[in-house]
Amino acid sequence: MSKFNDRVFGLVMLVIAVAYYYGATQFPVPFGGSEAVGPETFPKLLAVILAVCSLYMIVKPDADNPWPVAQTFLELGIAVVVLIAYALLLEPLGFIISTMLAVGTLCWRMGAKPMKAYLTGLISGAVVFVLFTYGLELPLPLGLLEIN
Amino acid sequence: METLHYLSLGFGVALQPENLMFALMGCFIGTLIGALPGLGPANGVAILIPLAFTLGLKPETALIMLTAVYAGAMYGGRISSILLNIPGDEPAMMTCLDGYPMARNGRAAEALAISAIASFMGSLIATVGLILLAPLLARFALTFGPSEYFALFVLAFATLGGITGKNPMKTLMAAAIGLTIATVGIDLSTGTQRYTFGVLELYEGVDFIIAIVGLFAVSELLFFIEERAGAGREMIKVNPLKLKWREIASIMPTTIRSGVLGFIAGVLPGAGASLGSFITYTLEKKIVGKKGYFGEGDPRGVAAPEAGNNGASSGALVPMLTLGVPGSGTTAVLLAMLVSLNITPGPLMFTQNAELVWGVIAALLVGNFMLLLLNIPLVGVFVKILSVPPMYLLPIVTMVAFVGIYSISHSTFDLYFMIAFGVGGYILRKLEIPLVPVILGLLLGPEMEKNLRHAMQISDGDWSILWSSGLSIGLWLVAIIGLLLPVVVGPILRRRMQAARARTQD
Repeated sequence: MSKFNDRVFGLVMLVIAVAYYYGATQFPVPFGGSEAVGPETFPKLLAVILAVCSLYMIVKPDADNPWPVAQTFLELGIAVVVLIAYALLLEPLGFIISTMLAVGTLCWRMGAKPMKAYLTGLISGAVVFVLFTYGLELPLPLGLLEIN
Repeated sequence: METLHYLSLGFGVALQPENLMFALMGCFIGTLIGALPGLGPANGVAILIPLAFTLGLKPETALIMLTAVYAGAMYGGRISSILLNIPGDEPAMMTCLDGYPMARNGRAAEALAISAIASFMGSLIATVGLILLAPLLARFALTFGPSEYFALFVLAFATLGGITGKNPMKTLMAAAIGLTIATVGIDLSTGTQRYTFGVLELYEGVDFIIAIVGLFAVSELLFFIEERAGAGREMIKVNPLKLKWREIASIMPTTIRSGVLGFIAGVLPGAGASLGSFITYTLEKKIVGKKGYFGEGDPRGVAAPEAGNNGASSGALVPMLTLGVPGSGTTAVLLAMLVSLNITPGPLMFTQNAELVWGVIAALLVGNFMLLLLNIPLVGVFVKILSVPPMYLLPIVTMVAFVGIYSISHSTFDLYFMIAFGVGGYILRKLEIPLVPVILGLLLGPEMEKNLRHAMQISDGDWSILWSSGLSIGLWLVAIIGLLLPVVVGPILRRRMQAARARTQD
């Protein structure tokens, strides 16, 4: 069993803790002079705790959980890309179309048949759109489907 | 007497038609959320918070709905335990032990009905306990000063990992990460910008609702993709119900004992519903002894953990409502709701927002009856929905999370933030760093800092004020015990829980 994960994470957090502490020392002195406990005290305290925990994780790491490899890693990457694309296209394409694409792709990649997957996306998108726009009066973007 | 007066006030709120309707809706959705494997109660409540906001619900209505979801999720967890041998949520793990064998023996319907009745009794007992205990604790908490509160927050973090938690240093790390994120934004008492890097969206700090939804919902999706569990598993068919009154009567002593014990486990910091169901099951096995056939489908083995975990879940509301310090993931999420509604949780809430608090408590009682009615005749509906494979369900859940976050502010920036939290949550879970302390840190960070500052202002910069009163020393001691106990007792308890589960799976 390798113990790589905890060490790397500990190291990253240690760097963050130091940067965070340094950041706290750079705060401007608040208006009206400094007090015993200013805006920088609590972050400094936290930075110390973070650093101690990080050091502990570097010195005494737990055994690793395996990271996904090859195919699975790719699938995870696809999922994250789909989510980002969903956020990106929500307004330009409109809610229904982007939901059909995003939910459809996710269902498909999780093992559903493509037709059924995109149909699920379309139906769920349309239902939520109608529910929000007419039921709750919270308009969601219509995007391409907008008729002007 | 005073309590009765407040309680009737509460019923006045809970029985308003609008609140009743949302309570019923919450119960239904909650049972669903609990039943679906992988969609735990904390996750479910988190996704619903933004929706409750965008609906523009009144605070009491929103909280009643979400508390109903919480209670419902505890009921729902048993369905997949019994039919699939997969706990819908962690506390339902012990229900698998006798529930699944019972279902395999062709008594699935009876197991479902018995567990529903046990859940009902457990919740009922614990809600009565809550009504009796909460006002007392709230009055006591009024004597807390800033240094006591600071110690209390530390205690909350120290015990949050729970006695069954693995590595206390990782719990601490998680809490520190949450607190660190909470310091981003403009400092409220001096106006200093902290870690905003000039980004306008960060001036108000990180919205914890976005963080919660990202950490729970999005990371869950990623985990399901990794495990390739999209197709779901085979389910046991439900037979027609044949339950005799005698059988119900025979489990009553078990449910009452377990409900009380569960409530106590819920109130205590660090114990929570998982431990509640474990203790009750083990104790019941000891009490019944050789007369029972635990592990092979004994109805009492179904009743005990269900009464226990429902009792514990209502019990966990006691510290959340009276002290503003949640003891579990889901109560932390409920607290997030309160904070975003601009209600300061804690002892003052019982006097300043009496209608809200007592409305919610009364709604717990009403909701419990609704849940019993929903769960016995309508169990078939839930079973149907449970058979929808996760490959359709999880993408839709993710979409609902997107809509919820988007409709709060209509900004896509929040969505990117949510995705980032989701990926971060996935990494943390891989490293076995618990997510709940991160959320609690995000939530309690501002309050914790405020109390620290007040204490230091009182003492004029002398740090020893933090441990100057007897009460705060006591709190610090419990916090230290809470941090050390898992190291000693944790491995033993975990091994026993695993062993108990392994035995029934052979």
